[in-house]
Amino acid sequence: MPLMANTTAKSDKLARLSACIVRVAENQDKAAFAELFDHYAPLIRSYSLAREPGADLVADDLVQEVLTRVWLKAAKYNATLANLNTWIFTLARNCRIDYLRRNSRYATEIDPTDIFNEIEDEGPGPFQMVQQSRVQQSIRAGLEQLPKEQSEILTKVYLEGKSHQQTSEELKLPLGTVKSRVRLALKKLEVLVPR
Amino acid sequence: MDKSTNHPYDELLAAYSAGSLPLSQALCISAHLEHCSSCGQKLQQLNHVGSELMQQLKPSKVSDELKTKLLGMLDSLSEDLPDEKSHKIDARVPRCLHQFVDTNYDDLNWKRISADIQSVELCRDSNGAKVELLKIKPGGSATTHTHMGDEYTVILEGSFSDESGLYGQGDFLVKDENDQHTPVATQDRECICLAVTEGPIQFTGFLHRLLNPFIRRGYA
Repeated sequence: MPLMANTTAKSDKLARLSACIVRVAENQDKAAFAELFDHYAPLIRSYSLAREPGADLVADDLVQEVLTRVWLKAAKYNATLANLNTWIFTLARNCRIDYLRRNSRYATEIDPTDIFNEIEDEGPGPFQMVQQSRVQQSIRAGLEQLPKEQSEILTKVYLEGKSHQQTSEELKLPLGTVKSRVRLALKKLEVLVPR
Repeated sequence: MDKSTNHPYDELLAAYSAGSLPLSQALCISAHLEHCSSCGQKLQQLNHVGSELMQQLKPSKVSDELKTKLLGMLDSLSEDLPDEKSHKIDARVPRCLHQFVDTNYDDLNWKRISADIQSVELCRDSNGAKVELLKIKPGGSATTHTHMGDEYTVILEGSFSDESGLYGQGDFLVKDENDQHTPVATQDRECICLAVTEGPIQFTGFLHRLLNPFIRRGYA
């Protein structure tokens, strides 16, 4: 599919899903929720499997946990502040952090709830409204053009949830190289804010 | 709102956005974000990166049973009520630290570690890192030290200077084992910092070197 048509199809899809979340928020509309489930559940499942391949039960648990939060927090979601895909990503990330903490071999007393929940509950804040969709589109286009060695590292960090140290061990690269590839990738994606 | 001039590196903020950062370091980032809107803005972009990567995943088939089960549960779901405790906490305390503070910094169980410094350990991370608050009295100095691992510091109150510059509220610093520094709080007020140390601090002054074996035991 040509890039432009692809982009249009994606934004049409996102607009339809965004209308669904409003219906869930305003009318507890289950048909709208089912549509959200059909789109997001398979992605959340893949997101979980990216970190723990073969762990199907864990993946199903994550789907259930994230979509439960979508149902309960729909009214708090603010479309003018955050794109729905990004909101769902942060919910999935937060649920995964919770899950890993509860099931880790290494206990920690640190409760992640207050560390990450601000985005989930309050949206990113008015200062982030600036050119939201333009930024998202340039990130999407940028990802398609990243050299493989850089996109591979972003995949490790974001989807597989690997620390820089783990990434460096798995790819047999010096830690400094891992960090500099993340930096280079972000620079290409123009994730830059003037200070 | 944007007082801080020292920010986390991009790759650290990206790891925070990805959820792949140890929680002790995530605490420091979160405390910094409360004072830094430009990092907040950058974080939102980094979340978009995660969002796009997730959208590019090959969808994995979800069973009809799971969908039926969840749809059947919807009417009985209810959200946990927000914790009332937060209302009683001093507004100066960053939200990410509410879990360790009941009312304000003064009520914590501070321990004197030198004439100028008090500390209170908040918790340990699963990687063994120590999370603590440090309080340096006005004009007070921390002993010259290096670190076995990385040390992450966020200034919560007041300001301090060291060999590399002056740091104020919200500033985020990372020091590694090659950095030797001597923080000195400014004269006007005490300085409170959130500090995460991945390995024991090594004091480098002559007398303090004698203390190192005792301090290291704290990490065994």
